[in-house]
Amino acid sequence: MATEHANATDVDEPNGTNEAGGTGDASGAGDASDLDGENLVLGYPTASEPVIDGESIAAEPGAVTALVGPNGSGKSTLLKGLANQLAPDDGSVLVDGRDVHSMDTKTLARKLGLLSQESTSPDSITVEDLVYHGRYPHRGFFERTTDEDARAVEEAIELAGCGHLRDREVGSLSGGQKQLAWIAMVLAQDTDVLLLDEPTTFLDLHHQMEVMEIIETLRDESDVTVVVVLHDIEQAARLADRMVALKDGEIRARGAPEAIVTEELLADVFRVDADVVQTENGPRVTPIRARHEEPASSATETDPNGDEPASAAEEGRAPIGTEASGD
Amino acid sequence: MSGGQSVAGGGAAKRSEDGRIGWLFDPKLVSVALASVAVVVAGGLVQVSFGAYSMTVVEAWRAVLDPAVLLDPRWLLNFLVGEGLMRSITGFQGELPELAHTTLIVWDIRLPRVFVAAIVGMNLGVSGAIFQAVTRNELASPFILGVSSGAGLMILLTLVVFGGLTAFLPLIAALGGAVAFLIVYAIAWKNGTSPVRLVLAGVIVGTVFNSLQTGLFFFADDIGVVQSAIQWTTGSLTGTDWEQVRMALPWTVVAVVLSLAGSRQLNLLLLGEQTAKSLGMSIEKVRFALSGVAVLAAAASIAVAGIVSFVGLIVPHMVRNLVGSDYKRVIVGCLFVGPALMVGADVGARLGMSVLTGADSQIPVGIVTGLVGGPYFLYLMRRQQNMGEL
Repeated sequence: MATEHANATDVDEPNGTNEAGGTGDASGAGDASDLDGENLVLGYPTASEPVIDGESIAAEPGAVTALVGPNGSGKSTLLKGLANQLAPDDGSVLVDGRDVHSMDTKTLARKLGLLSQESTSPDSITVEDLVYHGRYPHRGFFERTTDEDARAVEEAIELAGCGHLRDREVGSLSGGQKQLAWIAMVLAQDTDVLLLDEPTTFLDLHHQMEVMEIIETLRDESDVTVVVVLHDIEQAARLADRMVALKDGEIRARGAPEAIVTEELLADVFRVDADVVQTENGPRVTPIRARHEEPASSATETDPNGDEPASAAEEGRAPIGTEASGD
Repeated sequence: MSGGQSVAGGGAAKRSEDGRIGWLFDPKLVSVALASVAVVVAGGLVQVSFGAYSMTVVEAWRAVLDPAVLLDPRWLLNFLVGEGLMRSITGFQGELPELAHTTLIVWDIRLPRVFVAAIVGMNLGVSGAIFQAVTRNELASPFILGVSSGAGLMILLTLVVFGGLTAFLPLIAALGGAVAFLIVYAIAWKNGTSPVRLVLAGVIVGTVFNSLQTGLFFFADDIGVVQSAIQWTTGSLTGTDWEQVRMALPWTVVAVVLSLAGSRQLNLLLLGEQTAKSLGMSIEKVRFALSGVAVLAAAASIAVAGIVSFVGLIVPHMVRNLVGSDYKRVIVGCLFVGPALMVGADVGARLGMSVLTGADSQIPVGIVTGLVGGPYFLYLMRRQQNMGEL
């Protein structure tokens, strides 16, 4: 897999070096936090092969990094690894130079927040109470809410634009409104690093835009380092300062959106023929047809059967399914 | 931004005004508590009035409120902590003043049974509520993680094989439940647990222990032993006394305080394992500690009343239906609804047979709770669409 890396998309070369190597020097990024995954090997106990086999990724401090890739490419797995939800078999994840695995769980949760793809809550909890749960890592065992908690919650609710929902019960909300409430909860956590797992999937256009705008505000008005998994490559290109494209658990390309969203990359990573036009709103992708033959570069590596367990694991079915069936 | 600040100020003021106990005055919670207290008082009054020595309700009231007991700390301590401790606390060495006949019957025999019922109801309600959050399963009961089967097996072993230890039966039963819980946890553990693994391990241990328990019945050669075993394994309050109040009360207080302290953790568990973890909860530690509290509560109730089924399953349901899913309120609600159900059921257990058949016999209260609980559960299931989701 490591040799494969070299002859992957050539975009990797110019940008990849300063990204992967940028561990220490947060170039002029003020208070923003670094998040580095180094030589990560990530897998699930149920699958013998790791999903991610020795990749390094560095999120640009204070900027938005988007992970894109087809189903089963390992982007959610990578995000879980970065969030310390999945213990790496090898390698380490560092936040501001400290290994997340050795950090106290609450200390980590004050530094790094994660919005999972599927979130469940009791139906009768109000949005405000849900958002207050985001303050959990900031409170001691017996501590009551402080003014600071209240301030963080208000700011989070305002930023997420769900002030009008604050007294509604979560069970009565639409999918889009629920997502805004959950985003408000992770915002209230007030972390330096924020990881979002497909926050716009299953939302209508309006709520997709709402979520995008929240992330844009975070990028423009705060020092929060954001890593977001997105399915929609156009959306990712519009939103992100940096993009990382994955396929079959490997990072195929990384760099600025204009350099990543190309017809060649779409053919190689997403297996579609597409027209890409650069517009003022970022690149516009018009998919034309699916490519049925394996692209030459990965034909040697990927056998069609081997792809299956990886994709099941990537969707998180193995570990989450067990939990979900207990609901 | 200035607009946001003023909103923030308002929200903070509203929260801190609510303060530490503001949530207690939620109208729904208050009415649940009042209604439950009414049931407990009514049930208790029936219990103290009727029986082998019947008295009118007025007489019963007089006996309950007899100033000779209520205003005499020596008598109160005598009941609550036992005679020996009473004497060392008060330094009183003489004979206690004599009580009226009715007062003695009510205070010495009938009232403690009501108290034990209330304590058992509280414990089972709280225990069930915790287990339902920990396993994220509405069908969880205090006995889901092997507690009842462990206790049942030890009860049978004690009665059938180690007859000499019968005096320690309450303790042995409670310990058996706790040990079974630890076994379940050990089986479920593989780099951590999950709700499903815990429930499955509970089923496995329960099946094996129940088989052993049933097998032991074959070795019981005395009908009295069998009856006693059945009383213990279905749950009974017959013959409970101040001794049982004294045995269960301290553990109940501990379990209730701990579960109230843990209510925020329980609320977070309801958001799912992933969210709880990403918010910085040490999920395995919290889950084990909370399960431990729930087992403590269940064991306290087993020690005084045996294995009373269904109460721990239904009470949290009823409360959640009435006050919502916030666990602070759910736990407090269980402290009231549990006793109401248990005291009510015990009226049926103690007096039902004599009303129905005229026979002067009592049935185990666990039979009544099952008879009441099953249909109520059916009603809930029919009414609610999303049964099983928490």
